[in-house]
Amino acid sequence: MVIDLSPLDRKVLRDLWRMRSQAFAIALVIAAGVGMVVMSVGMMRSLDATREAYYDRYRFADIFAPAKRAPKNVLDEIKNLPGVGPVEGRITAGATLDIAGIAEPITTRIHSIPMAREPRLNALVLRSGRWPDPARPDEVLASEKFAEAARIGPGDGVDALLYGKRQHLRVVGTVLSPEYIYAIGPGQIFPDNRRFGVLWMGEEHLAASLDLTDSFNEALVRIDRSADATDVIRRLDSLLARYGGAGAYRRSEQISDRYVTNELAELQTMTRILPPIFLGVAAFLINMVLSRLIDAEHEVIGLLMAFGYRGNAIMLHYAKIAVALSVPGLGLGILLGSLLGRGIASIYQEFFVFPFLTYRAGLDAYALACTVTLVVVLLGVFQSVRRVRRMTPVEAMRPPLPPDYAGGVARLIGKMRILDEPTRIILRGILRRPFRSGLGALGVAAALGLYITSAGSRDNVAKLIEILFDQSNRADVMVTFAEPRDQRALFELQRAPGVWRVEPIRTIGAKLTGNRRSKSEGLTTASAGSDLNRVVDIDGAIIDPPARGVLVSEGLSNELGVTRGDTIEVQVTEGNRARFSLLVADTIESAVGSPAYVDDAMIAAQLHQVPLLSGAYLGVDVARVDELCRYLKAVPIVAGVSLRAASRNGIEATIGETLGIVTLFNTGFSALIVFGVIYNNARISLAERSRDLASLRVLGYRRSEVSYILLGELAIISIIGLPVGVVLGYFISHYISSVLGGDLFTVPFGLTQATVAQAVLMVLLAAAITALFVRRRLDRLDLVAVLKSWD
Amino acid sequence: MPAAQPLYRIEGLTKTYGEGDTAVQALRGVELDIPQSAMVVLLGPSGSGKSTFLNIVGGLDQATSGHVHFEDVELTGLTDHGLTEYRRHHVGFVFQFYNLVASLTARENVALITEIADEPMEPAEALALVGLEARIDHFPTQLSGGEQQRVAIARAIAKRPKVLLCDEPTGALDSQTGVRVLEALDAVNRELGTTTLLITHNAVIAEMADHVLRFADGQLASSSPNPKRRHPGDMTW
Repeated sequence: MVIDLSPLDRKVLRDLWRMRSQAFAIALVIAAGVGMVVMSVGMMRSLDATREAYYDRYRFADIFAPAKRAPKNVLDEIKNLPGVGPVEGRITAGATLDIAGIAEPITTRIHSIPMAREPRLNALVLRSGRWPDPARPDEVLASEKFAEAARIGPGDGVDALLYGKRQHLRVVGTVLSPEYIYAIGPGQIFPDNRRFGVLWMGEEHLAASLDLTDSFNEALVRIDRSADATDVIRRLDSLLARYGGAGAYRRSEQISDRYVTNELAELQTMTRILPPIFLGVAAFLINMVLSRLIDAEHEVIGLLMAFGYRGNAIMLHYAKIAVALSVPGLGLGILLGSLLGRGIASIYQEFFVFPFLTYRAGLDAYALACTVTLVVVLLGVFQSVRRVRRMTPVEAMRPPLPPDYAGGVARLIGKMRILDEPTRIILRGILRRPFRSGLGALGVAAALGLYITSAGSRDNVAKLIEILFDQSNRADVMVTFAEPRDQRALFELQRAPGVWRVEPIRTIGAKLTGNRRSKSEGLTTASAGSDLNRVVDIDGAIIDPPARGVLVSEGLSNELGVTRGDTIEVQVTEGNRARFSLLVADTIESAVGSPAYVDDAMIAAQLHQVPLLSGAYLGVDVARVDELCRYLKAVPIVAGVSLRAASRNGIEATIGETLGIVTLFNTGFSALIVFGVIYNNARISLAERSRDLASLRVLGYRRSEVSYILLGELAIISIIGLPVGVVLGYFISHYISSVLGGDLFTVPFGLTQATVAQAVLMVLLAAAITALFVRRRLDRLDLVAVLKSWD
Repeated sequence: MPAAQPLYRIEGLTKTYGEGDTAVQALRGVELDIPQSAMVVLLGPSGSGKSTFLNIVGGLDQATSGHVHFEDVELTGLTDHGLTEYRRHHVGFVFQFYNLVASLTARENVALITEIADEPMEPAEALALVGLEARIDHFPTQLSGGEQQRVAIARAIAKRPKVLLCDEPTGALDSQTGVRVLEALDAVNRELGTTTLLITHNAVIAEMADHVLRFADGQLASSSPNPKRRHPGDMTW
């Protein structure tokens, strides 16, 4: 079939073919912009949808109500509360496990599961093995992540220290639970699957071990959609008060959900801020490239005008070229974005260990990204064509007027004896069109800025880890107790092998009330002489606890609605349940959580007793850590031991992986943009200059001399762009670190010189590769053509 | 020149480029009538104003003052849109450097015009008129300078314009090739009756004209009829 194309449409096709390598670079830039949007939106929506579906399908509780011991018939009363749906009572207990091959005792939480039926709430996903046999009291299920990290599987035995009694348990299956997407042990601030385990055991057997037969110590509650959670919590608290209720809390306060929410929020922040910037930069660059392409076509436009082509027809012609140049990029971006979005979502699926992935792409995201790109591109065409059309056809067809070199700077360049003629050509070329040169440099700067921002998020995480482990928590080993202990525990630990320093961990359970609202948040004690655990702010500065009053983290002060000089009402929820008020001595921007610090001695005076210890920080002789761990395994009071080095690795793996994946792809996309921008800058300069350069060749210039003119201009524009890009990257990076993080973490700003240097090298590399390409083109300049036509 | 039924009537035409000290007066009050179907040759040194004159008459540039009447229309009163329509329907252009679109073949370059014309020739027919039927599917880079110029002529005449404006059509060509190009222009003028205005530096070419206009310093220095119009084939330089 012969397609009858109009001559202008043929010109479209042949122009595209002629510009194919440039079109490729344009496609890459557009693909990077659109791909980022499509990838991020797809990934985020998929993760959100997957979490929702997971919670829903496995009936994750809305409210958790722990108590000391409540008879089972209380569950019926709970069920009758207004707005309450399904209710499950269970037993939850702490234990330590002794596993072959792991030196330290492993902090473990054991939950009961009904043997006769499926759990009504917090159902489990069996991943390997089988359900426990109701007739075998020693059979348990282990969380899959823990089982993998501790290298145990169905059939393996573990020794547990449960309620002071040693028991031999047999793992018969591994499971996933919506409750432990992140498993965070007591006293831990990050998941460490090797040192915190979760087991599920038949209800009757666990009850028997703990002397809780026909009772429960935790109620799981699901509420109706329309129910008021606050009201339900209030009723639950009053119902469970006489059974040692420790305060019901909602799902959003459940530790795993908080972490997941926090992680997703961080990803969301990354995906909300960066992709629009990417798309914006890409669109801006394409706009610039197209404008220059059309400017270079001004003779053809003049010719078409001379022939009597109407403005709209000319506009349409270039719009077609622009759209045709954009379509491959849009297609590639959508394809790449969808594939990567799905791919990254499934990497996260494995990371979070969701049992399935619900992929959501979103046509609207595609449509939005494409529309934004096309509008910006067409706007560029419209502006450029109109600019040419404002000339008379004669002006348009005329070769560009010899530039006006009468200006002061140009004269100055003329007077600089040191410069040779080609260098003058370069400098005047740049100065003749300062706006255009500026845009070119800005393009390089924008691309560099994006690259710095993307690569810089790794630095922020590294800084966070440094603050946590080098500045704040410097204890080699942290011990948590199964129950609060008094001062004597410190002396016992002092005698343990390898220990050279012991500092107490004291957190006083309390409800704090400020001007705005109340919050359950323990008071953490600190003392000015601490060495192993210090109060450190987000910039890494060490801050002594105030002698009077309380040092409040900014997150908490915002929540409570208090500031320096205000007072906070404290209702202690343990021990003698004292009630007093504290002056807010100062606020601190804290890297982790939203703590409130009080001085050790001050709070003891306030409580009229030395508060109990929930654990201790130990300074340990590194060579004797293993020996210490073996010793601690036999100490019943020790519920958990965490090693600084191991925790640090755990955190690096956790944050490193989640942010790392996104960072990797962001960096890749920004590298694409860097290359696309520089290549396009070079190609357009080549197109604009080829006639001059060919004329110089005719006059006897060597190839290297001609290359110098073109590449010199390119180099200068790129070099001007570098410092601007560094500044741009610094500010975007800073902005992102300030909005990243939720109530769990605050991300410090840690951009390093190494990252900036790497980004700058990246630009130089892209420029070098481009120079090679362009140099090859320069070698093929058509010298005859320049003789055949004007000037 | 005869006053009866002129195609163009030009009165007090001036054109100034730039302003103030740097202003250049390209045309200083040109008065002239151009009859229908005439072959007019414009002579004059560089900067004498002949190209500026041609551009204004062709609707490519705006006059600073004065009037150009084309038939019953005053060109100097037209908007950009009006000039576009004027060029589109009535004017054909031939440039010194051909200005072919490099990415289109000979036929397609001609079709670029026939597409937007009311009653055009077939591109092949126009190309045959200039003797290029054998090179119809060649790209500009595959054609010699003379051939490219003849494609440009075919492109200009394919819409059967009332007037053909040629700015140094043979300026970039050797004499033998130049003659072939002029033959093509001569044939078009005789066979189609297309009024032709031709700028040249080459005084010999004036021998093929009905009228010869000499420009000097932005003014029309002389306008003389040529009673013995010669065939380009008989001219040499």
